[in-house]
Amino acid sequence: MAEQASASNDKSVQVKLVLLGEAAVGKSSVVLRFVNNEFQANKEPTIGAAFLTQKCRLEDRILRYEIWDTAGQERFHSLAPMYYRNAQAAVVVYDVTKASSLEKAKSWVKELQRQANPNIVIALAGNKVDLVQPSESSSGGTSVDESEDEADDATATGGEAPAPSGEGESLRQVPREEAQAYATEAGLLFFETSAKTGEGIVDIFTEIAKKIPIEHILASARGNAGRPGLAGNRAEGAQSQNVNLDQNATKAKDACNC
Amino acid sequence: MATISTALRHFKEPSKEQLTHTFFSIPPALDGTLDKSEEVEGMEINAVLSLGEAVEDSYAGKLHIMSPFLAFASLDRKSVRFTIPLSTIRRVERLNARAGIYALSLLTWHGMKLVVQLTSLRPTADLFCSLLKDALKLELQRGQMKLVKSFVKTCYSEVLVSNSSSAPENEREDGSLDDQIPNSEEITYHGGLGLKFKFPGDPKKLRETSKIKLWTTYLKTHGRNLTLLRYPQYTRLVQVGLPNRLRGEMWEVLSGSIYLRFANPGYYERLLEEHKGTTSTSTEDIEKDLHRSLPEYAGYQSEVGINSLRRVLQAYSFKNPELGYCQAMNILAAAILIYMSEEQAFWLLEILCDRLLPGYYAPSMHGTMLDQRVFESLVQRCLPMIHEHFQEVDVQLSVASLPWFLSLYINSMPMVFALRIVDCFFCMGPKVLFQSHHSTLFPAILKINGEKLLQIQDDGGFLNLMRDYFASLGESAHPDSPDPRARAITNFQELLLVSFREFSIIHSIESFAKRSAIRNLRTFGRFTKEQVGFVYDALYKAMCLVPPPPTSAPPPTLFTTGDGSEEKPETRIELKTFRHLLSEVATWARDEKIVMNGFQQRIDREVAEHEFIDRLFYFWDVGCRGALSFQDIVLGLDGVMFNDLMENIEWFFNLHDKNKDGYLTKDEVLVLSESLLFIFRFEVGDAYLGAVSRFMTNAFEYGDALLPRPEPKEGEDGERASSPPPIESNQPYLNLATFRMVVLADEILESFFETDLRNSFKLVPLPEMELPISSTGLLGDIWSSIATDTNKKMFNMFTDEIGKTIGRHQVIHRPSIGRYTTLEEPKARESLLTPSMRKSASKSSLKSSAAASTSTVSTAVGDAAPRPASSASSLTVNVPSPAQLASAKSALGSVPESGSLSAMPMMKAARDAALMERTPFAIDNAQDGDEDEDDFFDDDEEDDQVLDEVDAFLEAHDSGLTEADKKVAQDLLKAEPVK
Repeated sequence: MAEQASASNDKSVQVKLVLLGEAAVGKSSVVLRFVNNEFQANKEPTIGAAFLTQKCRLEDRILRYEIWDTAGQERFHSLAPMYYRNAQAAVVVYDVTKASSLEKAKSWVKELQRQANPNIVIALAGNKVDLVQPSESSSGGTSVDESEDEADDATATGGEAPAPSGEGESLRQVPREEAQAYATEAGLLFFETSAKTGEGIVDIFTEIAKKIPIEHILASARGNAGRPGLAGNRAEGAQSQNVNLDQNATKAKDACNC
Repeated sequence: MATISTALRHFKEPSKEQLTHTFFSIPPALDGTLDKSEEVEGMEINAVLSLGEAVEDSYAGKLHIMSPFLAFASLDRKSVRFTIPLSTIRRVERLNARAGIYALSLLTWHGMKLVVQLTSLRPTADLFCSLLKDALKLELQRGQMKLVKSFVKTCYSEVLVSNSSSAPENEREDGSLDDQIPNSEEITYHGGLGLKFKFPGDPKKLRETSKIKLWTTYLKTHGRNLTLLRYPQYTRLVQVGLPNRLRGEMWEVLSGSIYLRFANPGYYERLLEEHKGTTSTSTEDIEKDLHRSLPEYAGYQSEVGINSLRRVLQAYSFKNPELGYCQAMNILAAAILIYMSEEQAFWLLEILCDRLLPGYYAPSMHGTMLDQRVFESLVQRCLPMIHEHFQEVDVQLSVASLPWFLSLYINSMPMVFALRIVDCFFCMGPKVLFQSHHSTLFPAILKINGEKLLQIQDDGGFLNLMRDYFASLGESAHPDSPDPRARAITNFQELLLVSFREFSIIHSIESFAKRSAIRNLRTFGRFTKEQVGFVYDALYKAMCLVPPPPTSAPPPTLFTTGDGSEEKPETRIELKTFRHLLSEVATWARDEKIVMNGFQQRIDREVAEHEFIDRLFYFWDVGCRGALSFQDIVLGLDGVMFNDLMENIEWFFNLHDKNKDGYLTKDEVLVLSESLLFIFRFEVGDAYLGAVSRFMTNAFEYGDALLPRPEPKEGEDGERASSPPPIESNQPYLNLATFRMVVLADEILESFFETDLRNSFKLVPLPEMELPISSTGLLGDIWSSIATDTNKKMFNMFTDEIGKTIGRHQVIHRPSIGRYTTLEEPKARESLLTPSMRKSASKSSLKSSAAASTSTVSTAVGDAAPRPASSASSLTVNVPSPAQLASAKSALGSVPESGSLSAMPMMKAARDAALMERTPFAIDNAQDGDEDEDDFFDDDEEDDQVLDEVDAFLEAHDSGLTEADKKVAQDLLKAEPVK
């Protein structure tokens, strides 16, 4: 799967990518950082799913990511298949300050490996590392204002907000090593990221791009210019055949509802 | 997707009662708050509603007791309606009205005087009143009445009305109150965060001040909060957007959540108290989203707003732990809280999740999924091009629509527009059959963007297009139009317009089915498109009443499965359905009894059954399939409705010439006579009876006279009468020419075939359905339109006849022809029959048994027709044996009975004073034996005087009332209560 760079033509390749993970781990923020390079505290929760696109240059080839940012709450789970069908890549996000979110991430990985496109590239991202880095923990501060007086926020560990200054590492509930070990075992790309500072975000998408079997996508796109689903077990034909060059939509400011 | 099928499996068709409750926004009683055994039985009754001080028209409709509520809806189910807690009714009086009118005056807490005239039969009205009395007593015992006073204080409308003279001047433009005003009087009303943090939108652009003014006027005259009456103006005011400060309360009223808040005082606070410190998955989820709910609104950048939001969402999750909390509820609740207090918002959330959007936020989200499917099929049907394109490029509608629906468009489009959609959403109420509420809006969005949608290639393009469109809602829809008024129309206004006009489910599907059925016709015959449309309506109505056999899918099913976009060419109706259809079209195909109780009259309408109708069915069934298609019916009607005298005579002849040999047998002559008698069965006077009897006499005379010659010709045969041999009753007997001559010998029959037969078919177009804004479920609309239409027609026909056929009797059959209103018999045209003919004919007739009987008939008629008392079974004769002829004779005598007996003495009087003196009548007389000495009812001796000022019944209006009814309703407003 690694001979990505050998592409001959310079058309952009459309890659469908889905973000999954527990509620409020920062999926939308990760996407927003990647697409618009910005960060919003108090982002409204994603209802259903949001859709964004971003182009990404990889050596001589342009990848166009079509990103489906899904809702995190458990009851939206049943809608997820609608979004990860035909996806070539998935980013499963957890919150390093919340142990349970890794468990949820694991179950997403399991589901993807069982039900999604068999060649799907999965990356595991432990988000919110800015909260556990002592040196920077008190600096970012755009989001801290309103929530400081809410004592019960600590139990939630969610929200982007609860960043009481000081002893950063103590907030960490998921050791890097543990997550790394799991990722290796399950065959996932692994990153620790911060949507707030931007750390590790671009890396995820770059590494995914490297790992995507682009030739395969192109081949199946060429192979069945007609209808999707003809090229073996890969059903992404419908996506890739409609590659839409030069679409300005890549600069989508903001997903419609996130 | 398994969740959908589970939900579907568990889906139960709501009962009629449930539908009614839903329609009237009557909330389900909370567990344990109502003792079922105490329930007063529900009941509905026909009534005419008038509002005191006569600021509105009177409306006919149905009044319901659904303890503890009294509710009313006009016949069209949209013009007028109210739902009033019984506890807000301060006084009920029986009005001292003219004889036969049963009217109550209800005084509500806000001093509105409602006059309801109960137009059902007396015992029904009595029963209704006693139920109402019981229900009111029960409310009194429960102490609910005492709560009203403190409750209404929590409503902003009270402040608005009481300060209406001074308040507007003291209001700041942004809609918040100047501090001085609330200080002068303690604030007791509930309000949302908007009062403190301002409301979204520019109050000037929203024209808040003038809206408030309009509402104040409306609320003064039509009640408010608990006692609000919804008249047409109300809907219009809602559609232009509610004023911010009234919005919360109006949402409460529209959705019915106000009744929950009223019935459960203190519940919200108690719930929070009881669950203090409780945590659950839901409370955790809620915490995550608190700061993510409309974060750009000032109120949610402050602890005040966040805490309110937390409490409301938590309280709901405690109330309904099974549902708990679903993302998107935070956005709804946040929006609601700008306009309402926490308690109000809590109950509104309850109604939203439980009733308006059932299953939307449930863990399985089955409601959401189900609606997505409904929309997809809706788009497939209404906008097939877009559907196909989406299929082609593999775009799913739900990627866009799902978030919209879950958050009711809030945060998908600019707030001010989303709020107006929410206004309409609450106002339209839950659709009964389709559980979707956005169904009107969503296809409209797609339609408006149709061109662009056909260009999109993927999900992303779709979402971007929608986002751009929503962002442009405030812009002009026709920026390049030279007309400044057109330029002033915003995209949003256009959207509302399109959605209301074109995409109300009922409207579009029904008219679409109709259009295509009409398009599929091979020929219209000589009908216009509108007339064919009417035939379709009648056919459709009949099929609703008597569905055709399952092989051809009946339309109600077609509707729900969404397959009804096209009437199948093979949809054929059977005889039973045909009878209903014909009764819509032909005056003689229905039995109409006008039942009168003093002033009130009611028309009982039944579908007539007679061999003649069956004969017509088979006559029109040219393909001999035993069933008629729409085309068959159109052609069949075409074959009779455009005929002139000669053609009609021939048509009638052919109809009875079973073997089509050009001759009627003796049997057939008798059957034909019966057909005539059937058509004339309710005619006034003896004229038609006489005509038919003369027809029979002549037919047999001529028939006999012509017997030897199998192909006689009119002119010569008449003169050459000989004595024919007796023949079998099934032998060819009477040809067309002879038949024609016999018919033309009679003035009445001639005019019947010349105009009356044709005119007895009436293709009156149905009133077009109006903007179905507050329309209720599919079935409800169909039925109510039937009811309205039927009523109107009844009244119209009654109008035609009332001047002619008023009688003292309680029951009058409406004649089908109604040409002759006196008993004077037109003379037969003697001149056509020479004396010699007559002589020889009668001589010859003696020779055959059948003819002998005939002459008996004529004798009987000559003797001025003895009138047997009963007309039962008089029209059943089929075979011409002497005995049966005798009974046919008695039929001849008795047919006009019902009409003539009643009508004759009154004929002249009726012209002057159109209405009648009440004669003692068992049902009506039951009156007043049961005098109520009740707190609410001051019943009394009814005034039995004759009232004669009503002079005309004019056409029924939208109110479902005739002018006379309106007058009565108006008079009732001035009527004194009975002492």
